Amino acid sequence: MAIQEDRRRISVRLTVLQVACVVVFAALGISFWLLQIVEHAKYEEMAANNHQRTLALRAPRGVLYDRNGQILVDNRHSFTISIVREHTKDLDRTIRMLSEVAGLDVNNVRTIVARHKAEPSYRPIVVVEDASLAQVAAITARRLDFELPDVVVEEVPTRQYPAEGVAAHLFGYVGEVSDAMVASDDSLKSGDLVGQAGIEKIYNALLMGQDGARVVVVNSLGREISTLEEVAPTEGKRLQLTIDYDVQKAVDDGFKAAHDARLTNAGAAIVLDPNTGEVLAYVSEPAFDPNTFAAGIDRATWASLTTDEQHPLNDRAIQGRYSPGSTFKMAVAMAALEEGIITPDFQVHCAGAANFYGRSFKCWRPGGHGTISLRRAIEQSCDVYFYTVGNLVGIDKINKWATLLGLGVKSGIDLPNEAVGLVPSTQWKQEKMHEKWYAGETISVAIGQGQVSVTPVSMAVYAATLANGGTRVTPHLLKAVDDGRGWKPVPAPAPQSKVELDPGKLQAIRDGLWGVVNGGGTGNRARVEGHDVSGKTGTAQVISNAGRVAAARSGKDLRDNGWFVFFAPRDKPEVAGVVFLEHGVHGPNAARVARHIVSTFFAKKEGRPLPPPPTPADMQFDFSDPYGLGHMPGAPPPEEAVNDTH
Amino acid sequence: MLERRLYYHIDWAMLAGIFALCAIGLAQIFSATGGFTRIYYTQIYGIVFGLFAMAICLSVDYRSLADKSHWIYLGILLLLMYVLFFGAVRGGSRRWIDLGVVNLQPSEFAKASLALVLAKFFGESRRGAITREDLAIAAALAAVPLILIARQPDLGTAVTLIPVVFAIAYVAGMSMRIVGVLALVGVLVAPVAWKFALKDYQRERISTFLDPAQDAKGAGYQQIQARITVGSGGLWGKGFTKGTQGQLRFLPVAHNDFIFSVLAEEQGFAGVLVALGLYLFVILRALEAARLAKDRLGAYLVLGVLASFTFQVIYNVTMSAGLAPVKGLTLPLMSYGGSSMIATLAAFGLILNVRMRRFTN
Repeated sequence: MAIQEDRRRISVRLTVLQVACVVVFAALGISFWLLQIVEHAKYEEMAANNHQRTLALRAPRGVLYDRNGQILVDNRHSFTISIVREHTKDLDRTIRMLSEVAGLDVNNVRTIVARHKAEPSYRPIVVVEDASLAQVAAITARRLDFELPDVVVEEVPTRQYPAEGVAAHLFGYVGEVSDAMVASDDSLKSGDLVGQAGIEKIYNALLMGQDGARVVVVNSLGREISTLEEVAPTEGKRLQLTIDYDVQKAVDDGFKAAHDARLTNAGAAIVLDPNTGEVLAYVSEPAFDPNTFAAGIDRATWASLTTDEQHPLNDRAIQGRYSPGSTFKMAVAMAALEEGIITPDFQVHCAGAANFYGRSFKCWRPGGHGTISLRRAIEQSCDVYFYTVGNLVGIDKINKWATLLGLGVKSGIDLPNEAVGLVPSTQWKQEKMHEKWYAGETISVAIGQGQVSVTPVSMAVYAATLANGGTRVTPHLLKAVDDGRGWKPVPAPAPQSKVELDPGKLQAIRDGLWGVVNGGGTGNRARVEGHDVSGKTGTAQVISNAGRVAAARSGKDLRDNGWFVFFAPRDKPEVAGVVFLEHGVHGPNAARVARHIVSTFFAKKEGRPLPPPPTPADMQFDFSDPYGLGHMPGAPPPEEAVNDTH
Repeated sequence: MLERRLYYHIDWAMLAGIFALCAIGLAQIFSATGGFTRIYYTQIYGIVFGLFAMAICLSVDYRSLADKSHWIYLGILLLLMYVLFFGAVRGGSRRWIDLGVVNLQPSEFAKASLALVLAKFFGESRRGAITREDLAIAAALAAVPLILIARQPDLGTAVTLIPVVFAIAYVAGMSMRIVGVLALVGVLVAPVAWKFALKDYQRERISTFLDPAQDAKGAGYQQIQARITVGSGGLWGKGFTKGTQGQLRFLPVAHNDFIFSVLAEEQGFAGVLVALGLYLFVILRALEAARLAKDRLGAYLVLGVLASFTFQVIYNVTMSAGLAPVKGLTLPLMSYGGSSMIATLAAFGLILNVRMRRFTN
C-alpha cells in the first residue's frame, strides 16, 4: 500500500521534472533562436568589427613635373607609428613602452593620444610621422614578441619637395584636412591630406588620389592574421607645370647671391612666356621648407614660421603690395601716347626739379636731364618728364591704361589668395575716401609713388603686355595633366583683356626700355649680348625722407625696394618678367638677377651651357648710385637723392 | 559478471546520444584548439578512460555499490581534504591531484558519490514521507563536500552538489511546503550572501552580468563576446573551423567553458538544436530510467546523478549564450576535461546500471 503510494508519488514528481526539463530546453532553444536568427545581423556585424580592421592605404599625390618633364615634386615612402586602442587593455602601459622603445617623450605621446581620445578606438592615432628606420625596427621586433600588438607601423607616401625651399610658395604644402572642409566637401574624409597652399591647394582635386583599403583579420590581441580584401590606392593625377626648372633655379641662384651679399633675403620674381602667359619661374623669398609640412609639422617649426618677422609663409609674388617706383612710367607714357596727348617726340626740359600746383618736385638727378624726349626720358628715368606728362594725362587715363597693361587688377594666376594692387582714380578716391582727387596727387603717381601699389605678379603681366603688344595674358602654371592614360595638354586660359596698341607708339616705349639696358641707362646690369634685353628699373621708397630720419633708430630695415621689369628680345619677345628685391636698395641689383634669368633662358633655348650663377660680388657694388659708379658699400647715400625713383 | 540477459537491457539509444555528444564536443575541441593538439588527444584519452569507468559502474550491481556508498563517500572526502592541503595549484585554485601523467580532479567524482550516498539514505528510509531530520542529515551530507570544494575555491562545482540533494529529496517526497520555505530562504539569504559570502571578483561577475557594457574590456568582456559568438553564427553557422570568435581568441577558453558558443558559431542554430536535442533526449531517457527503476534506491540514484548533470548543462548553455554570469562550469560530455569526462561517463554508467537491472532481483 505504502509502496504503491510511493510509486505514484515518484511517478508524478518525475513527470513534473520531465516537463520542467522540456520547458527549460525549449526556453534555451528560443533564446538561441532570438540570438542567432532574430538578432543575427547585429551580432554578425559586431563579430566582423571584432576581427576585421580596415586599414586605409594612402594614395600618393600626383607627381609634379616641369615643362621639360623633370620631376619637381615627388613622393617618397615614410613610416608612421600609430597606436590602435581597440584591443588595448592598458593604454598607459602601451604608451610608456612605445616611448621607451622609440625614444620618445612619454608626456608628448600622452598628449597626442589624449587629443584623439574621442575618435573611434579602431582608428590609428599617429604618434610618430616619418619615423626613423631604427624606430621602425625596434617596434617591429617588439610587435613580433607580442609586447606591442596595438602599435602599428604603416608605410605611407609622403610628399617630397625640392630641398632648400625651391619654389616653396608655388608648390605650397599639404596638411591634414580641417573638420570644416570635411563637412563641406563630400569627397574628403577626416585624416585626409589636402593641399593647404599653392599648387597643392588649387589643384588638390587633381592631385589627390583615391585612397585604397586593406581589410585584414586581426585576432583578439589586435595582431593581423591575414588579408581579406585589398583595394589598391589610385595615384593622383600627374601634373606638368609650365615651370622651367633651370629658369627657376636661375632665379633662386640670383636671390641666393643677393642674400649672400647681405643685400636682402626677401623679394619675388616671376618669369613668363609673354605670348601665352605660361609661368616659367616663380619665386617668393624668404621661403620655407614644404617638406616639414609633408611629414606633419611640429609646433616649434610652425611657431618659428608664423612669428618670423619676415613672414616666410607670405607669398610675396601674389600677396605683397609695393610701390612700383619708376617701373610705372611706361604706363604713364602709354596712356599719354594712346590718348594722343603726346607723341614720342614730345620734349620736356628737365632742370632737376619742376613746379606743379605750387610745390616743387625734384628729379632724381640733381643737375637735371636738360631737354629730353620720351625714349631718353625712359632710358634715363627722368622724373620731371613724367611729372609733366602725367599732369597732362590726368589720373583717370593713367588708371585706364595701367589697368589695360595689367596693373591694379588681379592677374588671374592659378594660385590661391592673390591680392590686388591699386592704381588710383578719381572714382576710387571718391568711393574710398569721399574726397575729390587733387591734380597735385597725380604728380607722385606719375613716377610710381603715392597711392599706387602693385603685386609682383601684376608687374610680370605688365611686362608681358608691353612685350606682346597689348594682350593681358593670364599667367598660369598648369601645362598638361596625366590621369594615367597619357598627357593631355591643358589649354591656356583666355587673356584677361586685349587692346590693340599702336605699333609705332609701343615701339617708342620699347626703344626706351632697350636703352635702359643697352644704352647706358639704369638697367645696364641686365644686358645680355645679342638678346636685346629691354627693361626698366624701379627704386621705391619704403618710407618718406622725413620719416626715414625719425625712424632710423627703430632698427627696421628702411632701405628702398628694388624692381626690374623686363622682356627680351625687344622686337619679338620670348620671355618677360619681374624681379623684386625687398630692401634691395636699387633696381639695378634686381637687373643683375634678371640678366642671369634671361641669359639662362636663352642658353637653354639655344642649347648652350647654362651660365654660372651670379656671385655676391656681382651684387654688392651698388649701394646707392644707379650707375654703380663712385659709391662703394658703406659709403653714405648722396644727400641730394630725393624721390629715389630711377 | 555481466550476464547476457543484462546486456540486452542496456539503453543503447541513450548511449548513442552520449557518444554523439562526445563526438560533437571532440570535433569542436579540434576546431577551437587548431587541430590534433595535445588537448585533443587528452580528450580522447578522457573518453576512453571514461568508457572503462562506465563499464565498471555498469557491471557492478548498483545495490552492492550503494551498500558501500558510505565508504566511497568517505574516500572522496579524504581526497578532497588531501587536495585542499596538497593539491596542485592552477589559476589560483587548488583543485587537482597531480598524478604525474594526469591530474585528477576529485570534486568531479564527489557528485556521483553524493548521489550514491543520498540515494542509499533516502532509499532505505522506511518512513513514508521524509522528515526534517532526514532533510537535515541529507543537507549535512551534501554540505561537507560542498564546503571542501568551495574552499579550493571552486564555487561552480560546489554549487552542482545542491541539485543532487534537491532532486532526490523532491522525488523522495519532500513536502511542497518545505520546497516553498527553502525557496523563500534562498531569496532572503541572497543579499546577505552578496554582501558577506561572495568574493569581490564573484560580485563583479554578477554585476557585470546585469550590465556587461559597464566593463566591456574586463569582466563583461567574456559575456559580450559570448553573445557575439553565438549571435554571429546564424542559422547554419560559419562552418567547421571557420568561426572567427573562437578561432581568433576573442572568446577565451573556447575549448572548455565556451565550447557550446563555438558550436553555435560554427554550426549555427541548426547545430545548437541538434546538440540541445541530444542533451534533452539523454536527460529524458535517464528520467525514464528513474521511472522504470526496480526500487526507490535506483530511482533516487538516477535522479541524483542526473540532477547535477542537468543543472550543469543548462547553466553552461545559458552562460555560453551570454545569458548567465560567467562561471567556471564546464559542459558535461562536450567540454575539454579528463576528470569531468570520466566522472560523467561513470555517472551514466550508474544510470545504465539501474535501468539494466530493472528486472533482476
